[in-house]
Order: sequence, then structure tokens, then C-alpha cells
Amino acid sequence: MHNPLLQLEGVTKRFGGVTAVENITLNVFIRELRCVIGPNGAGKSTLFRLITGMYPPTGGEIFYNGYNITSLSTFERARHGISMKFQTPMVYYDRTVGQNVLISLQRHYDLEKAGKMAVNFMKNFGLAGMAGRLAGEVAHGYRQWLEICMAVATNPELLLLDEPTAGMSAEETARTAELIHRLNDLGMTILVIDHDMEFVRLLNCDLTVLHLGKFFAQGKLSEIQAHAGVRDIYLGKR
Amino acid sequence: MFAWLEKHFNGPQTLGESRFFWASFLAGCLFLLCLPLFADEYEVGNYTYFLLHAFLALGLSLIWGQGNILSFGQMVFFGIGGYSYGVFSVNLLKITQNTFFSLAMAILFASCCAGLLGYFLFYGGVSGVYVTIITMVSTMILETFMAQTAGPQWTVGLMPLGGYNGMTNIPPLQLNLGGEFPYEFRDARLYYLVAALAIAAYLGLRKLANSRYGNALVAVGSNPLRSEMLGYDIRMIQFAAFTIAGALAAASGGLYAAWGNYINPSVMGLTTAAMPVVWVAFGGRRCLLGCVVSALSLQYFSQCLSADGSQYALVIQGGVLMLMIMFIPEGVTPPLGRLLGRLASGIFRSGAGRRLPIERLENNGA
Amino acid sequence: MSTIFSVLYIYLDSLAFLLLSALGLIIILGMMGVTNMAHGEFMMLGAYTVSLSCNAGLPLAPAVLLATATTGLLGMATERLIIRRFYGNLLQSLVATWGLSLVLSQGMLILMGPSLPGVPMPLGGFGVADKSYASYRLLLPAIGVGVLLLLWVVLFRTRAGMKIRATMQNPEIAQAMGVNVKAVYLLTFGAGSALAGFAGALYAPTTVIGPLFGNSFLAPAFVTVVVSGGADIILGAAMSSGALGAVEGSFNYLFGSVTGRMCLLVATMFLLRCFPAGLSDVLNRRRR
Repeated sequence: MHNPLLQLEGVTKRFGGVTAVENITLNVFIRELRCVIGPNGAGKSTLFRLITGMYPPTGGEIFYNGYNITSLSTFERARHGISMKFQTPMVYYDRTVGQNVLISLQRHYDLEKAGKMAVNFMKNFGLAGMAGRLAGEVAHGYRQWLEICMAVATNPELLLLDEPTAGMSAEETARTAELIHRLNDLGMTILVIDHDMEFVRLLNCDLTVLHLGKFFAQGKLSEIQAHAGVRDIYLGKR
Repeated sequence: MFAWLEKHFNGPQTLGESRFFWASFLAGCLFLLCLPLFADEYEVGNYTYFLLHAFLALGLSLIWGQGNILSFGQMVFFGIGGYSYGVFSVNLLKITQNTFFSLAMAILFASCCAGLLGYFLFYGGVSGVYVTIITMVSTMILETFMAQTAGPQWTVGLMPLGGYNGMTNIPPLQLNLGGEFPYEFRDARLYYLVAALAIAAYLGLRKLANSRYGNALVAVGSNPLRSEMLGYDIRMIQFAAFTIAGALAAASGGLYAAWGNYINPSVMGLTTAAMPVVWVAFGGRRCLLGCVVSALSLQYFSQCLSADGSQYALVIQGGVLMLMIMFIPEGVTPPLGRLLGRLASGIFRSGAGRRLPIERLENNGA
Repeated sequence: MSTIFSVLYIYLDSLAFLLLSALGLIIILGMMGVTNMAHGEFMMLGAYTVSLSCNAGLPLAPAVLLATATTGLLGMATERLIIRRFYGNLLQSLVATWGLSLVLSQGMLILMGPSLPGVPMPLGGFGVADKSYASYRLLLPAIGVGVLLLLWVVLFRTRAGMKIRATMQNPEIAQAMGVNVKAVYLLTFGAGSALAGFAGALYAPTTVIGPLFGNSFLAPAFVTVVVSGGADIILGAAMSSGALGAVEGSFNYLFGSVTGRMCLLVATMFLLRCFPAGLSDVLNRRRR
């Protein structure tokens, strides 16, 4: 647990006059599971988009496995093992669930092999029996799992999950938490953004709190809950 | 036969996959084969003319139907293919003794042009309707340029470009087998050649569409950001599709020049440039065969119309296009195919059908 | 002196041509996001109205107004019947309006024949250093800039303009705020078409009036709007017609009009390649 997989050094992102992320320095270690929380507009999703290269940073540098990846494009970072589930499910709506998974798997395997693997993948992600249905027509929760499944199917080292449980029932949320633990046990480094404190409790991991684009606090859930400042920003005292 | 066709040419991106589809496909091929037996020389030439546009429709179907990039500039590569076939064949005929080499060179040259434009567009981050507008602009540039190439200073080797009046005396496709006269591809010979090439191109594109690359192309067309996040280089994928479509358009252009021994700048004009778009929109851009069939039938109809009362041809074509997009945006052939398929399902045992390997595996497992 | 004037004259002529032909499309493509391929045909209809009414005895100015009104009404009918289905779908609207443009231009060919009687150019001419120039051609850029300013005032300084901008930015929220979104779309498209007809009417005295009248305007119109980008349509249109007019004008002056037109198109390709979001976007980013 001592080598950082991902290092952000003083990363800043400005949109015109608005500073979405300001001078964030963050280390994520190999095999770590970490949750990023913060109120709306804290810059969490922007942070993910900076890590995946969808936005170029205004300042600062990003290291991955010790290499500077700041200038790499999104697909190159994906090829180095960074994978992401978007906040609103980004799947191929006009394609079947099966083809969605296949498109992700065939990056590394030939079609025959990928097809066989896809069956297992779908079983593990609660999508058994859905291969022939259009991704645009399945329920929201399944679509979330489909996207996680696709993100995992590229065999990433670092998995970024942006609100994986949004719109899920309590039971589905619990299953998702279990799934994330299983992936983490398999050796995947995972960063999760979520609002749902119940889910965060289930994940039982270190938390990083962002507020107004800045690093605010870090620690175990119990420490964060005891942190007076965090309570203030959530309840709107400041 | 069916099993072979189903094994190699079925997949997630192609719509017709049943036994019935393949039976009709083979019947269609047979029909193409027999057609010259029942037609006179003029008609055969005419059918050749229709068929040689199939490549154009296939290319646009690939890039628009699968890749979701509407190129309005397919006629640019048609024109480049035609003109460069003219230039190459006249200049090289004495040396190579045949013009197939020139056709290949023409297609290669036009593919390079397509690649250049594709590189310029996709590696520059141009997307969506901007691609359409730039390709449209490029067809107008080339038309304007070719129209002012009159006069002796615009001669490439032995071939004058001919300006507004176009390039004439383009040699037909021919092989010199050592006899006194070259073996020329005219009339029925050219017809069979073009038909065979068209069928091969169709099957080849089907194979391509269902390959890994085909999956990646529809993925990029459906959601570029997701694809990039999965590690696909979307620029490369779009660039490749654009180049392949350009090469196919060039094949049409080269064959056109060899067929008519003539080409002029108006093939790149806006009205002609829209024709492939009309065919593909009408046939259903997702359906490769539908695009070919609609290209053939729309050309046939517009010729019938212009034979009777020339002026109505374009009005009717425009009206059809408008109504199509308004009421049947997926094109005519997919619903028609489904209807026919349902009618025929009683007669033919259904084949492996429209399934992915996973779906089949899943169903076998369950 | 005479060289400077003739260069300036050519430049203003190109600028007016680009700006005026783009006027309606600025609204329809730039704001509403409808790729209207029948734009040239709306201009053609404007020119037809002018030709018919002028030759029936109407003076040019009221004929231009009549043409504006006619095409505006026609545009509203088009919106109601066709365009309404395609908001937010650029490619489908492109194909549908291409069909419409074929129907309009070829229909006109059948109805009215290959050409209509021309309209004499008003205002006469003047000479500078034994070269003669048409005053009307100098009036056109002034009108173009004037209408652009008027458009700015309407969009940014009136309640109606605010409603339009709100609707184009987010129709759901605008609807929730009590704006009749359907009516706004209808009227905005009508206004765009009316401006196209207006421009066509203004160009009626300068050229031959036939069913393909619009063809020569379509590409310059699209080019101007696309190069301008959507960030600030008014300023963007001014910038792009200014820049592209300079390219076309200077190459036109040096090498003739065909080369000028070709250089215009080539310049467009390069500008789009370098600034995919348009010139106004560049300016907007600077300003922040």
C-alpha cells in the first residue's frame, strides 16, 4: 500500500473566471479504495474529468505509476489502465447490453473469446439474461451496473466511479457496495464519488472531502463525521 | 452455403441475417447474372451504369450508417477517382498494356486524398455537422477548380483536363493479352465485372461491419466520449472509415469514367453530391444492402422519370427524401425487410438470426 | 487613390454578399440549430417576389418589404409542417431541408420557367478615376451592417428577444417560466426566413433571376455562419464576414472571381480546422 498509483500535484482547473478545482494535491495508493465526497459544486466530477484527461488542467501535474500523464489524451490514459463510470450512465443506448459489454471486452480479446467472457461478466454484474435487450430500454439501475461492468471489462488498474448508486434502491446500493469491495479485493484501485452517506458507510474506506474546489479534509468516516468543519459545509453554516 | 454465409457475414451490425434473407440475396445475385441475357446492348450499358454507383452507396452507408458521420463530399472522391483514372490510363496505357493498373492507381490516389481530408478533419477535432459542411465545401471547391481547367496549360502528361466541358476520350478498361487487339471490357463484360466487384464489396463491407473494427466504429458513432474512455482512438477509427468510404467512391468514379469514356466537373456539383445521400437515406443508412438496392432503384426511377417528362424527376426525388426523413427516418428497407421476413418465416427455417456470440452462449447456458 | 477605392469596393461587395446571404441563417442555424439547406431557395423566393411585383409596377423598396413578408409567412408554414420534427437533430434536418430545396427550386422551374424578367439596378453609378461603380453595391454593405445592428437590438434589448434567447438556450425552463415555446420557435424561424427573403430581394437587381438563384448564396451563407460559431452570433457574423470578405475580396481583386470564391472556401476549411467552435468562441474565451 505504499506506492502511489495516482498522484495529483497542485492541480487547478479554471473555466473562464470560475475556479472549479483549485490546487489539489492527492495521492491514491495501489489497491486503495477511496471515496471523494463534498457538496454540490465541490469539483468532484471535474476532478475525475481531469484525471481521465477530458479536461486539460489549467495548472499542476498528474502522475500515474510514476509517469507524468498530464499531456496524454483520454484514450491513451484509458489504455494505461484508467477507466471511468460517468455520473449519468454513458452507455451505447442504441446497442444491446451484450454488445455494450462486448465493445468493451474486445479491446483486449478477439471476438470469440470476448463473447464467452462477456457472459461471465454479465452474470457477475447482475445482468444475466439481458444480453439481447437494448441498453436504452433497461431500467436505470441495470444501466448503472452495465456501465460499471463496461468500465471493469477493460481490465483497469484504476477505476473511477462517479456516483455509482445514483437512482438505486437501498438493496441495489448494498449490492453495488459489495461489488466494489470484491473488485477492490481483486486488486483494483478504486476512487468513488458519492453523495449517499449510507453507501459511503458501506464502503468503509478513507474519505477525501472537497469543498468549493479545494481539498478540505481527509480521514476515516468516523473522523470525518466528528470534523466540525465538514458538518458545517454540509449543513450550510459557511 | 447458407451456413458458410451465416458464419462469415452475420453479426450485430447487419440487419438481414435470416435464411430467407440469404436466399433472396442469392436469388438477387442470380438475377444480376441473368439480366444481360434478356437485355439489349443499350440496356446492359445502362444497368452497368446503375451498378457502378453501388460502391458509392456502400461507402456512404459505412461512414454514415455505421460511423454516424454524414459526408456530403463522396462525389469529391468519385470525381478524383474518375479524373485520375483518365489521366493514369492515357499516360500509362502504352507502358502497362492494360488499364486495370490505372484504375488501381486512381483508387489509391483518391484514397490518399480522402485520407488527407480525413486526417485534417478528424485529427483536428472537427465533428458532427461541421464534417458535413466541410465535405460539402470541398466538393464545391473541386467543382469550381475543375471547371476552370480549360486550355492547354491544364494538361497532365497526354491528357487535357478539359475545364467545364470535361475530360473526353478516356480509354475503357482493357487487358492486352498479346493479341492484335486488346481485350476490352465493354457491354456485358464490363457489366459482369462491375456486378462481381459490387457483390464482393458488399460482402467485404458486411464482414468489416461485423468485425472488431465494425464494433468500434458503431461505438464511436453512438457515443464518442464513452468509446474514448474505453481506450478507443476515435480519431483513427473515423479516419479509417472516411478513407475506406473515399476509396469506394473512387472505385465508382473510376469505373464511371471507364464506362462512359468521359467525366466532367458537374459530377461534383451540389445536386449530384446530394444523390448518394438521397439513396442512403432512402434505403436506410444502417442497412448496407438496402442502400445498394435503393441506389439502383432510385437511379432507375429517375431515369424513367426524365425519359417521360424530365422536369419532374428532381421534384419527386426531393419530395420523397423529405417525406422519408419525416416519416420513416430509418429508411425503407429495414421495415420492408422485417415485413417480408415475417411473411416468409413460415416457409423458411430461420437461421442463426441476429445474435451476438454472447447472446447465443447465454441462451445455451440458460 | 483609384486602386485603393477599387480594392475597397470589391471588399465591401464581398462583405455585403457574405453578410446578407448569411442573415437569415444566423438565426436559423446559429441560434435554432437547424441546418436549413433550403436557405438559398428562400432567398430565391424573395427575388422572385421582387421581380414579379416590380414588373407589375411596384417600386423596389415596397417590393423588397413584400418579399420579406412573403418569405416570412412561407418560413412559418415550413416550420409548422417540416422543421418542427427535427429540433436538436442537425443531420436529419439537413437531409429534409435538402429535399425541400429540390422541391422548391425544381418546382419553380416547372411553374415559372428558367428565368424571370430582371429588375433594373436603382441609384445609378458614379466614376472614380475613369472607372465606374454602382452606388447600389455600396448601399448593400450598409444595409447588411444596419440589419445586423437591428438584430442585436431586438435580441438583446427587447422582451421578445429575451424570450427568444431563453427558449433557444433551454426550452423546458423557458416553458416553465411561461413562454409559449412553440410560438417562439415558429416566429423565430419565420423571422429567419424573412431575413433570407429580404437578402434575396436585395440581390434581385444585381443578377439573373432563375430557380437556381439561391445556389450561389448557399455556400457563402453556411460558411459565414459556421465560421462565426454559436458563442456570440451577432459579433461572430460580423467577424467572419469581415475576415472571409477580406480573403475573397483580395483574391478576387488579384486573380479573378473564381479564384476568389475558391480561396474563400479553402479559408473556411482552415478556419474551421483551427477554430472548430468558431471565431466568436475565440473572442469569448479571450474576454474572460
